[in-house]
Amino acid sequence: MGKKMNSEPLGTLYNGGVTKKRREWRGVKDTWYDYTRWLGNWGTMAKFMLNVQNLKGFFRYRWMSNFLSVPDFVDRHTEGLRGPQLRIAHKEFDFIVAHATGTIANLFKGDANIGGDPEWSKKVVIFDENMMTHVINGFPNLTAVTREIPPIYMGSVMRQDGILHYLDVAEEYGVPSDVCPMPAGELGLAIEDDYPQVGCCIIHCNTTCDGSLMGNGIEDRRFDVPTFEVAVPIRYTDDETKDYAAQEIRNCIKFIEDVTGEKFDWDAYFKAMHTFNEETKLFLEWLDVSKTDYPQVVGNNVALYRDAYYQVAGGRDPGFLKNEQEITEIMHKAYEAKTPIVSEVRHRAILWGVQAQYYSAFPAWLQNCWGIQPLIDMLSLTSTEIYSEDDKEQAMYDLADLYAKENMRNRSEGGYQVGVEDLWRFCEEFRADIVIMYEHIACKAMTGYHGLFEEEGRKHGVHIIWVPHDLMDPRTVSREEMRQSVNQYMHTILHEEPLDASLESINDGEAW
Amino acid sequence: MVNSKRKKGVRMKDLKHLEYFENLLQETNNDLVREAQGEGRKAIGYTCYQIPEPVMNLPGCFSLRLSAPRVGGIEMGTYYMTSMTCEYCRALVERNLEGGYRFLDGIIAAASCSQLADAHENMEQHGITDKEGFFIEHVDTPMKSDENAVNHIKTICEKRIFKPLKENYGIDTSDAALRKAVEEHNEVCRLINAIGEYRKLGNPPITGYEFAVLTLATYTCPKDKLVKKLKETLKEIKTREPDENYKKKYRARVLVAGSEMDDPEYIKCIEEAGALVICDRYCFGQNPGRNEIILNDDEDVLTQVCRQNVMENQCPRYMGQQKIKSRKDYVDKLAKEYKADGLIYQQMKFCNFWGYERAACSHIMRDEYGWPVLSLDRPYVAANSGQLRTRVQAFVESIEIKKIQGGAR
Repeated sequence: MGKKMNSEPLGTLYNGGVTKKRREWRGVKDTWYDYTRWLGNWGTMAKFMLNVQNLKGFFRYRWMSNFLSVPDFVDRHTEGLRGPQLRIAHKEFDFIVAHATGTIANLFKGDANIGGDPEWSKKVVIFDENMMTHVINGFPNLTAVTREIPPIYMGSVMRQDGILHYLDVAEEYGVPSDVCPMPAGELGLAIEDDYPQVGCCIIHCNTTCDGSLMGNGIEDRRFDVPTFEVAVPIRYTDDETKDYAAQEIRNCIKFIEDVTGEKFDWDAYFKAMHTFNEETKLFLEWLDVSKTDYPQVVGNNVALYRDAYYQVAGGRDPGFLKNEQEITEIMHKAYEAKTPIVSEVRHRAILWGVQAQYYSAFPAWLQNCWGIQPLIDMLSLTSTEIYSEDDKEQAMYDLADLYAKENMRNRSEGGYQVGVEDLWRFCEEFRADIVIMYEHIACKAMTGYHGLFEEEGRKHGVHIIWVPHDLMDPRTVSREEMRQSVNQYMHTILHEEPLDASLESINDGEAW
Repeated sequence: MVNSKRKKGVRMKDLKHLEYFENLLQETNNDLVREAQGEGRKAIGYTCYQIPEPVMNLPGCFSLRLSAPRVGGIEMGTYYMTSMTCEYCRALVERNLEGGYRFLDGIIAAASCSQLADAHENMEQHGITDKEGFFIEHVDTPMKSDENAVNHIKTICEKRIFKPLKENYGIDTSDAALRKAVEEHNEVCRLINAIGEYRKLGNPPITGYEFAVLTLATYTCPKDKLVKKLKETLKEIKTREPDENYKKKYRARVLVAGSEMDDPEYIKCIEEAGALVICDRYCFGQNPGRNEIILNDDEDVLTQVCRQNVMENQCPRYMGQQKIKSRKDYVDKLAKEYKADGLIYQQMKFCNFWGYERAACSHIMRDEYGWPVLSLDRPYVAANSGQLRTRVQAFVESIEIKKIQGGAR
């Protein structure tokens, strides 16, 4: 127990309840830092609740209770971290917490269900959960809100049973239980009329999957506002699809202009894209360092945050860029000092497939329990293109490219090359010897490659550890079962013993 | 067409060519396919309605919608695609591993859904055939009924279908050639629709099973080679005496809608349980797949073919509130036209599109359109399913009770 990594058995902190039995001891400096950040997150939430409209929303929507677990959510994702990694993690996760409260506040501000401001609502454009929001970069007077993210995406990440009620509602409606829980949960929420009623129009997209597309169509019956559907090509890498995709973007812009009366502002667009490009450049630096012997921004410290700034913020919030510049500075210092993330890195891993939302802290467990260092995950390996900052015609193609490379669909769609072949290239670049293959059993896209992954993995000499899960429904595959998939492989195939045996099997079935 | 003058008490005879058509469905590489290939024509496999058929039926080639008839176990397909994906896709992979598509000269692999796209990828990785000139083209397909989508599928047809057909096999892809393909397509459509008209009668001289066999054959065989037998069948049906036990055998008339269906035995199973299938709205079926393509002389043929495909498309993958509603209106219109008593929405298990569409329709078609609805999911091969019979029997009884009580329809 102390400052040193892996100095105490982390599994002993789990007591079968919702929270850990005590705060992890990381030495005086790190523990104090962690504690102040914990207080900071409570402060963010308290400030949010001081707003009357937010308070009304809290009592109107059952999913708001999920956010009581925010401090635990941050704790889960910082487990075992010390020094620079702890600071990078807090910079990211605390920023996400603050940003999320802003998103929710935007929802409640105009929510007709709780007497919101109708004038504000007229300036809000609703976007799908897993959809790039960049088209709104050209409408500085409008606010883009991804309505489904707080109740569903974040609900499931915050607490593992956060959206189970809505899944049950969707199944009672008749949606098959084999579909992906994300669109099913979103639909359940609509059926329950638990969405804030806000926004002048809705922009849909055929992301991330066929189920998502279908769920949207039914959900819209609950909202009496015009909708536009951006049809993004499935075979988006094919040249023949580019013009079609760009035209979809033009049509989308025209739709927003027609509904809102606003005009697309090219200066605002290019300004936001400049910020976005700067963020991409920093991300590329992170990746470069991750390929070395001393990776820094990896595992939990890349996945969720990358989702947030890449897709949701889209370059409109310079706060993200500032945050990333600070993270990059910490990263470089830690790299130069050869700071390790765990006491012993036994394996370097790529995380492929779609991660389990209800166990987004799984990478932390991998590194703490087995010394498997997750370097990068599939969802973060999205576009690293630098997009035009002055060419209006090219901008349409850029936006189309971004919409195709949204962070879940860019590899689940697009064909064998991006879904399977690229994995081996990344293994080589990152010098990974293990692939943690998340098998989201309800994902109809990636599971179709199962056999091909196994065959190709053998050819490339890479260990593939299959980790089945059900994205947002831990009743199908529990966190413990996910861990056992790894444990069994490590014991029986690799004949290894864990770094921290207390974590091998932990009682977190009732935890948040 | 009117059969009111027919004598009562006569039993319906078997269709003369039914066995012939049934036999054609027993193999993908059936007699007519072999015959056409023997004449030097190229067999182009495809899997989805999103690709307009005439573009693959140019002089010198013919389209063949892929299925896996008489598939037994699909263990290998399941290994490659897991047990959580659509069985049609797994069956295609299985059949390919068995070498069942070696006779093909090309495949147009539409990325209509993720699972189908993955199935095509699996097939390609495993190898399909070593025939000279063989090609597989993975193609994107539209998801909306608008002019951008028309342009998109037109581009796909030109660059991903016409180009390899021309380069690999010297196929004529001119406007004139395509117009001829459309004419042939329309001839078959007219025959199928003329036969289908008899299903609107109170006591139809053709069963749903028989019609499903005929229709399915038009997707899985070279069309021109079916014309003679279809004409004879139409002629036969004109004078065919309907079944005297019609009212006893069939206590309800139903429209079957839903996902891919290349198993007429499923229709037979429904009919054996007491529901006569008088109309369909599923892939491999009559509506809208057997609509004629009406051409004008003002625009190039390919654009017109693509426009009809995009605008008439009834696949749930098509987005937009207007389109979503029009799908329900379309089924409602058909059901009224064919005097249905109820609707059966069936879905291939694990199909994302129809999983949602079926769930929604089971509410919307009942609550907003007033139809009794039976909602079913099914495996790829579902013949003789006891569960299916029980569900259909219960549905038929519920319709009867509603009629007795003077309820809906």
